Amino acid sequence: MNVLTREELRKLVGEWIAAGKICTGPVRVKPELVLFERLAKADDLLLDGWVRPANSIKELVLPRHEALYGYRIEKNRIELVDQPETAPEQIAIGAHPCDAAALPILDKVFNWDYRDDAYNRRREATTVITLACAERDEECFCTSVGLGPEAERGSDAILFDRGDGSFLVKSLTEKGRALLGEGAANGGAANPPPARFDAAQVASFARDHFDDAFWKEHALACLACGACAYTCPVCHCFDIVDEGNAREGVRARNWDACQFPLFTLHASGHNPRSGQGGRQRQRIYHKFYLYPEKFGEILCTGCGNCARNCPVGLGVLPLVAKIPHAEPV
Amino acid sequence: MSGENGFEPRIVAYVCNWCTYLGADLAGTARLEYPPNVRIIRLPCTGRIDTNLVVKAFEVGADAVLVSGCHPGDCHYTAGNYHARRRWMLFRDLLDVVGFDMRRIHFTWISAAEGKKFQQTITEITEQTRALGPYRPYACGAGASACQPAPSGGAGAFACQHSQAQLRETAARLLSEGAVKVVIGYGARGPIFVTRPEDAAGLLWNETCFANLTTYLKRKEVRALGKPAIVVKGCDERALVVLEKESQVERAEIYTIGMACQGLGQPKCAACDTHQPGFADETIAADDGPAPPPAADRYAALDALLEKPPEERLAFWTAEFDRCLKCYACRQVCPMCYCERCLADKNRPQAIDSSPTRKGNFAWHLSRAIHLAGRCVGCDECTRACPAGIDLRLLNLALARAAETKFGYRAGMDPASEPLMGAYSLTDKEEFIG
Repeated sequence: MNVLTREELRKLVGEWIAAGKICTGPVRVKPELVLFERLAKADDLLLDGWVRPANSIKELVLPRHEALYGYRIEKNRIELVDQPETAPEQIAIGAHPCDAAALPILDKVFNWDYRDDAYNRRREATTVITLACAERDEECFCTSVGLGPEAERGSDAILFDRGDGSFLVKSLTEKGRALLGEGAANGGAANPPPARFDAAQVASFARDHFDDAFWKEHALACLACGACAYTCPVCHCFDIVDEGNAREGVRARNWDACQFPLFTLHASGHNPRSGQGGRQRQRIYHKFYLYPEKFGEILCTGCGNCARNCPVGLGVLPLVAKIPHAEPV
Repeated sequence: MSGENGFEPRIVAYVCNWCTYLGADLAGTARLEYPPNVRIIRLPCTGRIDTNLVVKAFEVGADAVLVSGCHPGDCHYTAGNYHARRRWMLFRDLLDVVGFDMRRIHFTWISAAEGKKFQQTITEITEQTRALGPYRPYACGAGASACQPAPSGGAGAFACQHSQAQLRETAARLLSEGAVKVVIGYGARGPIFVTRPEDAAGLLWNETCFANLTTYLKRKEVRALGKPAIVVKGCDERALVVLEKESQVERAEIYTIGMACQGLGQPKCAACDTHQPGFADETIAADDGPAPPPAADRYAALDALLEKPPEERLAFWTAEFDRCLKCYACRQVCPMCYCERCLADKNRPQAIDSSPTRKGNFAWHLSRAIHLAGRCVGCDECTRACPAGIDLRLLNLALARAAETKFGYRAGMDPASEPLMGAYSLTDKEEFIG
């Protein structure tokens, strides 16, 4: 199958939903807000009219809240409740290349010194059907981190909008072929964002200017919320909490974000990263220096969600654009 | 006597140590029988009872909650119950707007001599709750449609070149005279902090200047820059009034540059009646734009929600809060959320579940809203900042209206008034208290 009309795609999605697969795609939640949400029906899937949803598909593999195990206490008996061995099959439809590419990047940290079962269960059960980008805005910078509007990385299949109510289909993996058949089409005319910065310069600046006044100066507007990290496709820090009572409860992991002062607060009361400048530095440092050093990958897909969601106009691109000598080469 | 399917309600009673607890004691020593469904939790005073405790009780399985203390005039601490009364007047309106079942929350005054009244109260509440059946936490009503807020009008773009030039001149003058060390204003992407006169040209005044910059007065990095001048619109200035009332800022240590504003096209602008700053050190007049439109009904969106039955309101808020990521952008942009350590960040013990679950999200948003009662100036920054598009302003509006209709109080309008929640009146209406 090389071409799918919109109706055919919706019909397929409807069939997947009817077969009990969890389908996630862009949904207009409010007049000015598009989010990746679980599709209750195929008609909810929004295939155009947006640059990208305000959240990301990382929630499919790293939910904002996930019970790792639970306990129940009855009289003298304590029962531990494990999570199921397998995760339900889930399909992301209409992810962009900047979402799809997040998954292989995240695979590295979740399979490094410890194989994270909860993550891998979900990852194995996930199929990503990417929609190559037809639109972009001034916050997009995928080309500055090695991706592009038709990048195939992390996708199981990719769709190219032909602009006539149909999509060209290219299946990339077994999972993709299982859902969409043997599509082998190639992309249309992409409209890539211009290169905005040189990631290697950002990395060397971060490495060599740890104590530079730059960070403090450019983080003044930061209000220390987690909107950037929580809508980022690759920010993956989490906190472990125990929630329950004398009868039952869970140990869960919740998203956490490096912009919160609480993120680094020690039990003693000491906070080694005491100012917002250091916290903004950490975000850039981790994405452009630490993660590449350790895993050979930039921890950023250039989606621009951080900037779109920041209430005060910060984000990766606005910040690194100010780094000296980071202009694109 | 059990209800259907042997249901026995669990009732949590938060009582004060000096009156109701002794009333309960008297009921016991007088051998007055009452149902064993009540779990009594003794606290020093009703004035001590945090609204979060009520939320907690329902979280852990209460089917109804009673709050009871000394009759007016009898408080062991003189006025704790008056403070409590005012707090509950506001909190009830908040619970109502989220569609909470109000038949499960009860307030009474029971003195140490009223063992009989304690017996009757517990008996009545138990029977009523038994008839209601178990409390189902934040159950989503079936088939309820999402509530669409009322459409908001607003002025569009406006000409502002003249005001902008004046603003830059003022900023450059203040900095070069050394009157201030930093000017907090609007730049191309958002807030900027101008410390050199030559950088004043980066200041903008246009329809994108909707952020409330007063929130930066709490940031220690900004405070460290030295005496600030801050650009405020009439609406933002109200936040300064509240902050000063709460001893968070000294007006003498801040230079305020007021911008007369014709509206920026935000939902709040349609209902704005504070276009002209009233207390600024210097006001830059808007003599180059159209006159602001007359203020629309500021509670229209709230009324649209309240027209729906409670089950639909609860379903609406369930869908809204289910999108909450707990990124705390709502808290961080709020000028009034200046606590160095928020209740939500207290984890020994955990006051509010940190998890972005339905339970944790309801607890957080109810707590955030009630802490802003009589303090929120309606800048809507929380709503603007929310990446999940949660219509938080509706909660704030519910409390703003409660403050306005019950106490004739609007936050930040009158520098001389007492803070709403810090004060009480002997004439506060208590028709809801048994």
